[in-house]
Amino acid sequence: MTGMRISNEKSVGTSVLPDEARPLLDGEARFLNDISFPGMYHVAFLRSQYAHARLRNVDVGKARELPGVIKVLTGADLFGKVDPFRSMPNRFSGGESVQHWLAVEKVRFCGEAICAVVAEDRATAEDAIELIEVDYDPLPVITDAREGEKDGSPLVHDTCPNNYLIRRDYKRGPVDEAFETAHLTVKRSFSIGRKQALCLEGRGCVAAFRKDGFELSVWMSHQLPYVVRHYLAKHLGMAETEIRVVAPQTGGGFGQKASIYPEEFVCTYLARMLRRPVKWVEDRFENMVASTHAREQDIEVELALDKDGRILALRSDVWVDVGAYSTYLWSAGMEPLQTGGLMPGPYKVPAFQYSTRGVATNKTPVGPYRAVGRPSASASLELLLNEAARKLGMDAAEIRMRNMIRQEDMPYRNANNLVHDNVGYMPCLQMALSKASYDALRAEQGKPSPNGKLRGIGVACFAELTGLGTSTAVGPGTLLQPGRDAVTLRLETSGVLTIAAALPSQGQRIATAMRQVAADETGIALEDISCLTNDTGMAPYGFGTFASRTAVFGSGAVIQAATELRRRILALAAFLLDEPEDRLAIVNSVVQTVDRSKTLTLRDMAEHSFFSAKDIPMELNQGFEVTAFYDPKHGSFAAGAHVVVVDVDPDTGAVEIVRYVAAEDVGRLINPAVVEGQIIGGIAQGVGEALLEELIYDEQGQPRTVTLADYLVPSALEVPRIELHHANTPSGALGGFKGCGEGSIIGALGGIACAVSDALAQRGGDIHEFPATPERVLRGLGVDFGDD
Amino acid sequence: MAREKAIEVTVNGITHRKTVSVRTSLADFLRDHLYLTGTHIGCEHGVCGACTVSVNGKAVRSCLMLAVQADAKQITTIEGLRDENGEWNEMQKAFFENFALQCGYCTPGFLTSAIELLRENPDPSEAEIREYLSGNICRCSGYQAIIDAVQAAAAATRAQRQA
Repeated sequence: MTGMRISNEKSVGTSVLPDEARPLLDGEARFLNDISFPGMYHVAFLRSQYAHARLRNVDVGKARELPGVIKVLTGADLFGKVDPFRSMPNRFSGGESVQHWLAVEKVRFCGEAICAVVAEDRATAEDAIELIEVDYDPLPVITDAREGEKDGSPLVHDTCPNNYLIRRDYKRGPVDEAFETAHLTVKRSFSIGRKQALCLEGRGCVAAFRKDGFELSVWMSHQLPYVVRHYLAKHLGMAETEIRVVAPQTGGGFGQKASIYPEEFVCTYLARMLRRPVKWVEDRFENMVASTHAREQDIEVELALDKDGRILALRSDVWVDVGAYSTYLWSAGMEPLQTGGLMPGPYKVPAFQYSTRGVATNKTPVGPYRAVGRPSASASLELLLNEAARKLGMDAAEIRMRNMIRQEDMPYRNANNLVHDNVGYMPCLQMALSKASYDALRAEQGKPSPNGKLRGIGVACFAELTGLGTSTAVGPGTLLQPGRDAVTLRLETSGVLTIAAALPSQGQRIATAMRQVAADETGIALEDISCLTNDTGMAPYGFGTFASRTAVFGSGAVIQAATELRRRILALAAFLLDEPEDRLAIVNSVVQTVDRSKTLTLRDMAEHSFFSAKDIPMELNQGFEVTAFYDPKHGSFAAGAHVVVVDVDPDTGAVEIVRYVAAEDVGRLINPAVVEGQIIGGIAQGVGEALLEELIYDEQGQPRTVTLADYLVPSALEVPRIELHHANTPSGALGGFKGCGEGSIIGALGGIACAVSDALAQRGGDIHEFPATPERVLRGLGVDFGDD
Repeated sequence: MAREKAIEVTVNGITHRKTVSVRTSLADFLRDHLYLTGTHIGCEHGVCGACTVSVNGKAVRSCLMLAVQADAKQITTIEGLRDENGEWNEMQKAFFENFALQCGYCTPGFLTSAIELLRENPDPSEAEIREYLSGNICRCSGYQAIIDAVQAAAAATRAQRQA
């Protein structure tokens, strides 16, 4: 590399205030529902009232006659004209599911779209929905994974025997011998309820057609604009160049907006057919039944240990109720394969076995949601470690230390075939214990409680694989290896820098982070750098934002592109200033000699190179636009340890979190305040997962939690103040960065679950089902509800 | 019953005379008739608080109020929070400086509720802030930065008054 890089102040590592937040504070940010066009029609969907039924007849006659109704579209209208969503290939697929954009012949979950109504306004479209008469022929319903896999159970898809959408049996190392000869074996069951991301803004899209330029422009509340473009082209039979996908300001994603859903695709079909812009915005009821759910797992987990508490083998059985269809793009393998495969976490497991199943049921499909599969994998093992420690007369922290993968062991290949390196599991645990004054907490716990409450202390440690490169599939068995993303750096003719990437933000301040990295790498002042992250019409290829990857990929690509951009800038500046390149540096958007005797602003240089290039040799004027792909090859492990203190009220079953200490290793920090927001936000969602949130279905497959009055998300009263500490180890990725979006929810479920279990243990109780609602807590204390 | 009704509503200091369908919610009226899209709709049943606006000085769920009920009332939305000099009010400033928003969808409601809190209680404790804001859901932040922002805004407002 030529030219010195003189930077007085590093931007990376400082909590730069995010300019991208300003419009949100003025009410001027443009979310999906804020986009409208003249002549735009509105779409509403008729949704199945049955969990499983044959559609005998769909009569749309009255709806079509309602004034203001433009079009009523049925599954039959679409059949044969567009490709339905077939489950993506997975090595561990049990059978294929086919999801029509609008149901054909059968409906398989309450909320499945049957018809789309297009009208001049949304209210009229909804009025017309009421006029459609559907003749359902109800079919037997499956609402439980363990029932559904039994021979002879009704099938959700005739193509999936035992309702398996996913089935994997894995074994490595001497598992059976370990269980036969172990000093101690322990086993417990664990279950976690069905939940959902609950983005405050639901899904939605505006699709606009014009026979000019981009034929189809789509604004979609989504995390992966390029992926949407690819699949739109594929399913609509269009060229990708005819399609532009923009993700506007997005009100939360958390994975729920990373899948491909039927409704938006129906809207694009309608826009092309009607030659008019159409808009669909999900309401909260639709979001509760028609956007992907998550979790709903039953786990049986066993450990074989030696007399010192060291793990000899880990064995588990996992059942995941994955709902009615294999979620398009990611497959039904997300939860089952990750829960099974990633259970060892930060612990050395020499022998490992699991059987995992993704069982189709008549419920909303399960898709990606923050930390897919890992919270339950981690929590079930953490609870079991506590049980083993109790039986060995050992402290909960001690048994974790004895089994942890330590720095001196690295690189360490665990029995699930993952290699751990550049990660500080022990430093996290030691910091969390020390900051929490763990020994004092335990001593205090031994004293009688003044308020009659049961005090519990939970310790949970986790490993979180982030920023996955091409050598690691995003889920075991899938063919999806989204391990490369690109960034374009473009020095505009005014000398300011534009960063373009298809890495949209749902609040993670991606633009600010990439600007910070670019400022350090180029020497261009932060205020002279802007960033576009959301538009396939402007950005180079990229998979988008998910799986704790965006900071790693965006930053890595910025670093690579900046190297080339700097080379070009310095080469031209050397010519214009008549100085050798190695005497030049870019400081605060100015190229200058080391002694500052000569300076050239980037504005002057950029203008000159574009408007008055006659005297510049061509080889020095290749254009100041550089695109670089970054592939970190492997993933980077992030880590954390959480210490949670709860008080359980034995009369009401209420759980109060009285203290929460977290220590995290998320690599080199770009913007500490942003990172802390990600971690604390993840813990808050973990509070919901551990204590509150559960989507409940009755035995007929009817959803019982379809409003925010039934589905409880944490408010400011339930989320405690989080004491967050950093124990960061730089990763092996460019810049030393790791992902930080997901990990903390893993520690939160494990930490809170262990704390509640620890509290109940004081009365000889325990808890196996989560969220730990007051009823489950009281049952865990042996309270008889008189129901069996 | 008439399906439409003429109303006169003052929003952010500007008086609007409009004829609206009687079933139009205040939130839809603000967004679709006045193009004030800063008010966000999160649940349409009064739980999430994203659509909270100030009506005659009181925080109100605009998804649960009809436009016709706002007749002759004074409304402030997020678009009307800047002061007469065009400067952010203390709460906007504090939210920005404390990283108190991520996706920002809930922010309009939080700002409205938090401003009302400080009007009622200029020096709230953390527990009081949590209690007061418990009717607003934020899915991103874990609330901590929001609490910090409200405390910072309260301190700044008190300092201004003393100056």
